[in-house]
Amino acid sequence: MSWEKEVEELNRLKAMTAAMGGEAALERRRSSGRLNVRERIEKLVDADSFREVGALTGRPEFDEGGRVSNLAPGNLIFGRAKIDSRPVCVAGDDYSVVGSAGGATVPGKFAMCEKMANELRIPLVRLLESTGGNSRSLEQLGRTYIPQMEGWETVIENMGTIPVVALGLGPVAGIGAAKMVFSHYAVMVRERSHMFMAGPPLVARLGEVVTKEELGGAELQARAGGVDEVVDTEEEAFACAKRFLSYLPSSVYELAERTVPQDDPHRKDEWLIKAVPQERRRVYDMRRIIKSVFDSGSFMEMTQRYGASVITGLARLDGWPVAVMASDPYRYGGAWTAESNAKVERFVDFANTFHLPVVNLVDVPGFLIGRDAEMAGTIRSGARALSSVFQAKVPWCTVLVRKVFGVAGASHANHARYHYRFSWPSGDWGSIPVEGGVASAYRDEIAQAEDPDAMLSLIEARLNQVRSPFRAAMAFDCEDIIDPRETRPLLCEFANNVAKLREPGPVATALRP
Amino acid sequence: MSLKLIHSPIKALVWKVEVEAGQPIEEYDPLIILESMKTEIPVDSSLSGIVREVLVKEGDSVEENQPLVSIEAAL
Repeated sequence: MSWEKEVEELNRLKAMTAAMGGEAALERRRSSGRLNVRERIEKLVDADSFREVGALTGRPEFDEGGRVSNLAPGNLIFGRAKIDSRPVCVAGDDYSVVGSAGGATVPGKFAMCEKMANELRIPLVRLLESTGGNSRSLEQLGRTYIPQMEGWETVIENMGTIPVVALGLGPVAGIGAAKMVFSHYAVMVRERSHMFMAGPPLVARLGEVVTKEELGGAELQARAGGVDEVVDTEEEAFACAKRFLSYLPSSVYELAERTVPQDDPHRKDEWLIKAVPQERRRVYDMRRIIKSVFDSGSFMEMTQRYGASVITGLARLDGWPVAVMASDPYRYGGAWTAESNAKVERFVDFANTFHLPVVNLVDVPGFLIGRDAEMAGTIRSGARALSSVFQAKVPWCTVLVRKVFGVAGASHANHARYHYRFSWPSGDWGSIPVEGGVASAYRDEIAQAEDPDAMLSLIEARLNQVRSPFRAAMAFDCEDIIDPRETRPLLCEFANNVAKLREPGPVATALRP
Repeated sequence: MSLKLIHSPIKALVWKVEVEAGQPIEEYDPLIILESMKTEIPVDSSLSGIVREVLVKEGDSVEENQPLVSIEAAL
């Protein structure tokens, strides 16, 4: 006796679920240029590496003889696979199954997928496209239900356990939008993906008539901090996911791996000596500095459109993955806004969770000031950002590129720790900048001078001498002032010095989304 | 003729207006210099063409995304 017949039946049933929502639904996707969920998984993961879990799940129909005549698959496909030869968990919404709406949900599958990634300690990639709740399902159920977040205890725990990537590849509404933001890195495809709590028809009932692009387009969500990256095609989204994971350990119980260094750790780019303008009011290109001091081609910016006065991303130093924070003087002179604060808090908690050493390139004139800034709650969000910096246990290196003023400037590192810190000669710090303060503080002297303008210039020159970072360094207030061209060698030395200090394991301050 | 508006990237004060209506400009030419948090933020042209209209003057305060200059694209 053999089980040949049963295995044949097993394969017949699997073929039914593999057909997804049926040829007509799949053809509609093809003609609109969208991949189906199995094509997506195939394009994302290493060839032939996908091992589906729950491949038989669906709603069976039986013929008179009790044989399964049809098996309508559920709307979530998940399993184990490999990306760049490393094990991952992949979960994809099948939109061809009644719009991937709640009605086709197989109970327990989503929660088990999250749990699998959690217990196997492997990264999770969610391929999201779903419309959220559906009133039709109420009639099928014959009752209403109290909404509860099934499996969410694991979703939340995963934020502090494994890297989670969410790719919005179509509409993601309601709980789909929640699955997007419960991630460490979320990507939307321009014009293809729309993300909102509720779509245009529901919003119209509030009297707000908007298109789905106006309500939850990719650019809007990126600016709102809902997602971290916007791309033009699904393939680009997969590439982003792979690249993001390449900097991270598989879970917090491991450490990110060093890759073979591709760049000279002693490289000194000559132009760094003039990267920062002598004129303090002039802006400069911080991203060019980042590209110059980290391993060539290794910088991957994240969350660029949100809280834009702070640049955040991942990079490598002599092959070691690190978290990069830097100021963008083009945005409010690098001042921390309420949004920048939220970005810093989330990013530092993320780096700390995955034990990535932080390199912080600082040019911060303070928090953004003014009534709007007060109304935005800037000081409270700033206090949270400062807390995340002080609570981080990962190795931390600061480069003071220019301004360091006020509480926001002081949040560049935890001052109670060893100061692994360098300043460029352009370093300029204090509680309040000299500019503007001279005319009022020295009013009488200037007024009584024969040539008030000359007197003003004289006093400014005097103060600017006091302002020299060399004076602070002589008092050991600044540990080390460096030639900007030495930055890369020193950062590479930092990365090599601290690699052994990274400690695997869960952290006390795992991030909230 | 296509007209393109150049918007302010941030809420700021207009410190300097570097162009006037009718002036030909190249891509990356500075149009306006904004001031925010004691920093000059140049707003450069994203295209070559002719300045059709300058919509702000020095000393104005502008909101994020407010149009600053309209430019007629070069053919």
